[in-house]
Amino acid sequence: MTLSGYEALFFWIFGLAAIFAGLLTVMARNAVHSALFLISSLVSVAALFILARAEFIAGVQILVYVGGVMVLFLFVIMLVNVGAEERGSEEIFNNQRQVAASLIFCLLLVGGMLYAINTGYRGLQTLHPATPEAVAAQEAIRDQAHAPSATRSSRITKDTESVGGSLYRYASLPFEIASVLLLVAIIGSVMLARTLKQEVAVDDVDPGNAD
Amino acid sequence: MLSIILLLQEIETSRFAQMKLAAANPDLSKFLVIGALLFIIGVAGVLTRRNIIVIFMSIELILNAANLNFIAFSRYLAGIGSPNALAGQIFTVFIIVVAAAEAAIGLGIVIALYRNKETIWVDEIDLLKW
Repeated sequence: MTLSGYEALFFWIFGLAAIFAGLLTVMARNAVHSALFLISSLVSVAALFILARAEFIAGVQILVYVGGVMVLFLFVIMLVNVGAEERGSEEIFNNQRQVAASLIFCLLLVGGMLYAINTGYRGLQTLHPATPEAVAAQEAIRDQAHAPSATRSSRITKDTESVGGSLYRYASLPFEIASVLLLVAIIGSVMLARTLKQEVAVDDVDPGNAD
Repeated sequence: MLSIILLLQEIETSRFAQMKLAAANPDLSKFLVIGALLFIIGVAGVLTRRNIIVIFMSIELILNAANLNFIAFSRYLAGIGSPNALAGQIFTVFIIVVAAAEAAIGLGIVIALYRNKETIWVDEIDLLKW
């Protein structure tokens, strides 16, 4: 895979946007600002998914993360009190020594990961010595098999069809397990977020004796 | 002496040209670098922040970096004609499902904790400490 032309330009734009928005998520003083920066980071990563020809996953990312999970985060931020943080009277980071130690750890980790990516990718290139031109030609042949879109500017992708096909063909048991997991998560979060009064009412005890 | 300097310049320019070429044609390794940086930012957020909600957001960032790696490798495998090219995308679907479940449960715990302890600072949540 090698991107070129406008794809390369958009790759750098969205990649840098994802990293900067991620940094601002961690650095922002206000938790609502953190959530909004995290949304922009997730949207940028969804754009990178589209550049990597995973259009279905990009749509799922926008719908589930931005439309579901982040809305949940914003609701919880507004339920709990973050006034002290906004006014600046509370320190947002841990104490100095902990922050220094974790930053050193992170720097070591990033050095190790970049080294691993560098050597690993070189090994991958010797393992599959396909030149970028050959790979691009192969992908162009595959793209030719798809029907052109109505505007004739691009080809209609079959990504959703193929992902759905292999999801139900090869991963149907994990799919069912995931649905059970989601059911457990729904029940668990309802159980956890009950008030004391609701808990007592469900347990069929006289609410007067509860507190 | 002059020839050595010229040689060094030659090396520098050729390396610079290589870097320019690599930047104009981002490949799998560039996706992996962006995924690694997002992961590190998430780890730094988990380790340094005091607000438990921001820590949850950093965990989402970490999971998203893993998703980016899966998608990049899926695209790479499609490029070299592997039959397993879609496995990465399917795994990503499951990671998104688990992230959604984790967020729901985690935020439920945060609400229960806030109701009992009146705090969202992780260093004040020390019920298990003695």
